[in-house]
Amino acid sequence: MSKIEKALNRARGAGQLQVIQGAGKEISSPTEGDQLPMPHRLAARSPRDLEHRALSSQAIARMREPSLRSKQELAESRVIFPDRAENDTVKAMREIRTKVVQRTQGRNCVLMISSIAPGGGGSFVAFNLSVAFAFDAGQTALLVDCNLRDPSLPRLFSDMPQVGLTDYLEDPSLNVSEIIHPIGIERLRVIPAGGRRETPTEYFTSVRMRQMLDGVLDRYPERYVILDAPPMTEAADAHMLAQLSDFVLLVAPYGRVTVADVAAVVKEIPAEKVLGLVFNDEPGLPTWSWREMLKEAFAGALRMVNPLGRKTRTVT
Amino acid sequence: MQLPIDKLYRSLVSEAFASRRVVVALFISINLLMLVVAVIWPKGYSASAIILVEEKNIIQPLMQGAAVSTDVADRSKMVRQIVFGRKAMHQIMEDVGWTKQYPTPHDQEKLVKQLIRRTQVANIGKNFIKIEYSDVDPERSYKTAQRMAEIFIRESLEAKAEESQAAYDFIDKQTKEYKEKLQRSEEQLKDFRSANIDALPGSDVDVSARLTALQQRTEQATLELREAEVKKRSLERQLSGEAEVATVISREGQYRQRISELQGQLDHLLLSYHDTYPDVVRLRHQINDLNEAIAVEKQRRDAAKATGRIEVDDSVLNNPLYQQLRHELSLTKTLIDTLNARIREAKRQMQGELDRGRRVSGGAVTLAELTRDYQVNRDIYQDLLKRREQARVSMNLDRDKQGLTFRIYEPATLPLAPSGMRYLHFVLIGFILSVAIPVGLLFARLRFDPRVRFSAAFNARLKLPVIASVPHLWSPREISIAEHDMRVTVLAASGLVAVLVVVSVLRLTSVI
Repeated sequence: MSKIEKALNRARGAGQLQVIQGAGKEISSPTEGDQLPMPHRLAARSPRDLEHRALSSQAIARMREPSLRSKQELAESRVIFPDRAENDTVKAMREIRTKVVQRTQGRNCVLMISSIAPGGGGSFVAFNLSVAFAFDAGQTALLVDCNLRDPSLPRLFSDMPQVGLTDYLEDPSLNVSEIIHPIGIERLRVIPAGGRRETPTEYFTSVRMRQMLDGVLDRYPERYVILDAPPMTEAADAHMLAQLSDFVLLVAPYGRVTVADVAAVVKEIPAEKVLGLVFNDEPGLPTWSWREMLKEAFAGALRMVNPLGRKTRTVT
Repeated sequence: MQLPIDKLYRSLVSEAFASRRVVVALFISINLLMLVVAVIWPKGYSASAIILVEEKNIIQPLMQGAAVSTDVADRSKMVRQIVFGRKAMHQIMEDVGWTKQYPTPHDQEKLVKQLIRRTQVANIGKNFIKIEYSDVDPERSYKTAQRMAEIFIRESLEAKAEESQAAYDFIDKQTKEYKEKLQRSEEQLKDFRSANIDALPGSDVDVSARLTALQQRTEQATLELREAEVKKRSLERQLSGEAEVATVISREGQYRQRISELQGQLDHLLLSYHDTYPDVVRLRHQINDLNEAIAVEKQRRDAAKATGRIEVDDSVLNNPLYQQLRHELSLTKTLIDTLNARIREAKRQMQGELDRGRRVSGGAVTLAELTRDYQVNRDIYQDLLKRREQARVSMNLDRDKQGLTFRIYEPATLPLAPSGMRYLHFVLIGFILSVAIPVGLLFARLRFDPRVRFSAAFNARLKLPVIASVPHLWSPREISIAEHDMRVTVLAASGLVAVLVVVSVLRLTSVI
């Protein structure tokens, strides 16, 4: 990172802070906000008027984007991008996004995504859903990697910055803006898990966590904060996070959980928070050209069986 | 959980693709395994002989009722009993040449079991029996099948002949026994007859009739005796009241009586006629005459009285009634004596008859017994005689092989082509199994694994909205791996086909 970039970052951070302070009356009384039941908290964030919206669009447009990642890289990391509109996974993500927007009526909200079984693809859904939110030029998404024991972002992209959630929660001198990082996808910001992971549960019960969430929620209008929570069956973290979030989306991996497992998890979460279930990782055939495949395979087989195949063909 | 077919099919394909390596490995290994089995599986050669059971032949209708042909209900069972018997088995082993190969009884025992396992006996239709034997050696299987059929026929005919011979012998023995019995009872009957001549059938009836007659006669005589006695008593009473001599009316009295009669006539005539009427005159004369006669009689009597001589006169006579009673009495006495004699005689005869009756009835029981024995023996003997003749005919039928006969309808032939599970079968089965087993396993997993594979399950049982089903997102690397897998699969399949072809060609050319 060059010096100019750092300076720019700082300047933007200051501006962002101003925005927070401008809209941050609720933040001054975070405890009160906590006491409020969820619909009130939602209602407090009234939809912006047109003027505000225009402002927010400008603010979003001003978001500094580092060099965007190539499609190849995204595809390798199993991340969707708008060009693959025909892809069923992309369609499914868009569908989930639409349903979430319908449910929240366009207001900013904190959405927790957790898998029912370990390795059930909760992080995959969370990340791609964030990307799907960010498809829309008028919306931004912030993905918070809450898998403190086994962070998901470094697995996705190796060049992830280290400073993240735990650092912020541990170090009061750290500013929120310092842990929000662009990731090379337009309108998508992430908060990595951070470098320190001693007692994760303690982090999520702290006041600072709440403050941070409320802060980032209002940082931009039309912002969706998505918490990538560890699997519900694995740790108590997910339950803490469920209390902090407005909505919960559960990911049920294909062929890995029974109905009873799901029922047990759902019982733990307040019913009004549960948005629904995402049935993840349905097996299917890759979309490839079968004819090409067969031709190639046949040619390969022919080459193996008869190395002189080409020669004989030319002779005949 | 009932799955719709199209969903099931899609899931099966997806699952198969997801675990493609296992599926392909299973496919190839099962195919290869079955190929190996096909190659090392011994070729089975089976030879079969068909035996015709001739149930209806020309003899049967001719001998209807006269001979009984041996019938067999379950013929294949009979064949099994005969062929799998120790005797037949040893013979077969001897003939085919196994005895030298397996000299110890233990090995032979095992061999017998093996032979039995390799042999199949079946009824084909009603009249055919098929004996089939399979072996790895075509010639041996031919020989064995042939020997089995032959031995069966020989043994069964022998058994049949033996059976009918035994039946004849038995009946013959019975016949002789009954003949003796019959003769004995005839002898007894004869002896009894000669000892009791009157013990004829029906003599008891005769005796009873005679007894009845005698009884009647006795009763009759007794009755008559009573009457005669009553009559005798009455006559005796009368006789005691009657005078022995009766005074008969004198001549004078007779004249007077005559006069009165005539006087009556005269009076009668005078009513109609005059005194001068000749008849009246004649009557007066007659009366006068009579009066004169009376006067004479008086004189004569007076004269007699005067002389004092007892005049035996006609007028003093024996009393006739007395005479008659005496006569009657004597007759009755005679009758009583006669009747008494008759009753005595009848009683004596009755006693005789009773004795005879007793004798006759005792003899009749014995006679009936003897006769019955005789009749029963005679009937049985006659029946047995008839049966013996039937048995003799049956025996002759069996001896001349004319009854229920077996003959080889289709002799065993040297099998040229192997039978049973062959190379091609194994390869085909291997192919089918190699497809069916992975598919079956996948299906079983889909069907019985409680873990959810269809999002509808959540909707149905949790009332929890399923927002979306996210298909697997293929990364380029995964796709290239899948492509590589597919290439490997195609290669492996081609290799498998090549191996199959090569092995098949080698097999056809009898290299292996």
